[in-house]
Amino acid sequence: MGVFVFLPLVLPLTALPIARLAEQHLHPRATTRLLTLLAAVLGLCSTLCLGLLVVVGTAQLRGNPLPDGWSDPEVRAAVPFAEVAGVAAIPLLAAALTVCGTALRRHRRIRARTHRALDGLPAGADPAVLPDDEPYAYAVPATPARPGRPARPGRVAVSRGMLRSLDDDERRALFAHERAHLRCRHHRALLAVRLAGCVNPLLLPLRSAVAFAAERWADEEAAQVVGDRRLTARAVGKAALVTRRAAPGLAHFAAPEPGPVPRRVAALLGPVPPARHWPPTLTPAGLAALVAAAGTAASALSALNAAVALFVVLKAATPL
Amino acid sequence: MPDVKMPDVPAGGTPGATGGDGMGGKSFGSFGGSGRERARRRGQGQLESQVLAALHHAPGPATAAWVQDRLGGDLAYTTVMTILSRLHAKQAVTRERSGRAYVWTPAADEAGLAALRMRRVLDGEPDRDAVLTSFVSALSRHDEQLLRTLLDRDAADTNGPADASGPADAPTPADGPAPAPGRHHRPDEAHGA
Repeated sequence: MGVFVFLPLVLPLTALPIARLAEQHLHPRATTRLLTLLAAVLGLCSTLCLGLLVVVGTAQLRGNPLPDGWSDPEVRAAVPFAEVAGVAAIPLLAAALTVCGTALRRHRRIRARTHRALDGLPAGADPAVLPDDEPYAYAVPATPARPGRPARPGRVAVSRGMLRSLDDDERRALFAHERAHLRCRHHRALLAVRLAGCVNPLLLPLRSAVAFAAERWADEEAAQVVGDRRLTARAVGKAALVTRRAAPGLAHFAAPEPGPVPRRVAALLGPVPPARHWPPTLTPAGLAALVAAAGTAASALSALNAAVALFVVLKAATPL
Repeated sequence: MPDVKMPDVPAGGTPGATGGDGMGGKSFGSFGGSGRERARRRGQGQLESQVLAALHHAPGPATAAWVQDRLGGDLAYTTVMTILSRLHAKQAVTRERSGRAYVWTPAADEAGLAALRMRRVLDGEPDRDAVLTSFVSALSRHDEQLLRTLLDRDAADTNGPADASGPADAPTPADGPAPAPGRHHRPDEAHGA
């Protein structure tokens, strides 16, 4: 398998240019789907290769449960720097899987706690209006049925404080935005990129890119439902202005790049985003998309190659 | 609820004067735990709603024994007391001394209780954004100025009378220091890449 087993660990770098450029050149729907797909494939391949390295590394450890033949020099010869890489891969994979498990559990916990909190309200109440002066509005994703627990449909939860600050039309835009989140299942894309970022930190920039693209996507859906982009922009802007201000942190000293809300409002006040799924080839975005596609394909092929090669080597080394 | 000790409540059912403030908080903090533990907590969430609903149907301030009667016989008195003190800790009910017992009055309705619970989730889970997609995220000071500029410009474009709600969302002086004027016409430029 040679160097192929290492490639998927660094190939996520090829997705970074398109993560940066997609926002301006693609429809948010296409951006969300493309970046989520890239993150999922790159994350899976990266984890698979880490797993292969762990097998080689574990076989070298004293008292491991793997067949003795797996620590033969022929197996180690299949991986460059087998001693260092194999042993280093063990804590890396353990850390990646631990962080992933934590993120997954937290996802489920927050979802369950929110549903429990809303249980007191009538089940049909959608949106669920909470008598709270603090302005907020959330889309609570559906919970699938489990043994002993029925499925719960997704809900929109909005506080009275938020409703009070918007007029009727703006409220319609708000509800359309949150329902779009639920209908398009944005939480799945968000969870996928979150897990991808957990298994390979190089994929972290895709997380914020997808989070922003999902918001933009819901904005565009809302604008279509209410039939007015400027109205939607106003709803987003007013809601943001009544929301508690972010705690002043280090961000103040960073370059004053506009945050997500001004960018969303500016995009809604601007022209309708192009409906295309792929940027024109001979533009920076087009090239970035090609690089990302090539990188992802290379990552998948490398992972496959490494997996097959290691399987063959281990099979040969296993005494029958 | 055999695990809740209330030594100060006589078995006869007159609530003790110190009706367990401390035990309400006992089971608050511990999350995770076994599946049985989780199931129990979920049950208590529903019980809180039931107890609150019962108090709402009371003609006036009610005792815990009244609530227990109202909810049917299968709830232990101590359970009712636990839930009432839990609701009290959440400020969903108020209580006052009446003789040796407390009488309880609902301070929030079921929706209010849901709001209190929701706030606990929101305040307790700073990393919730990947699960609960919020309508808007918090603004920095710079973002706020930028946003006001964008909205003001939009309101000016619609020419006041055509847009009744325009002035309402521009309560701040528009003559503040406009950040980077002319940079944010189009989304392409707003990114500042």
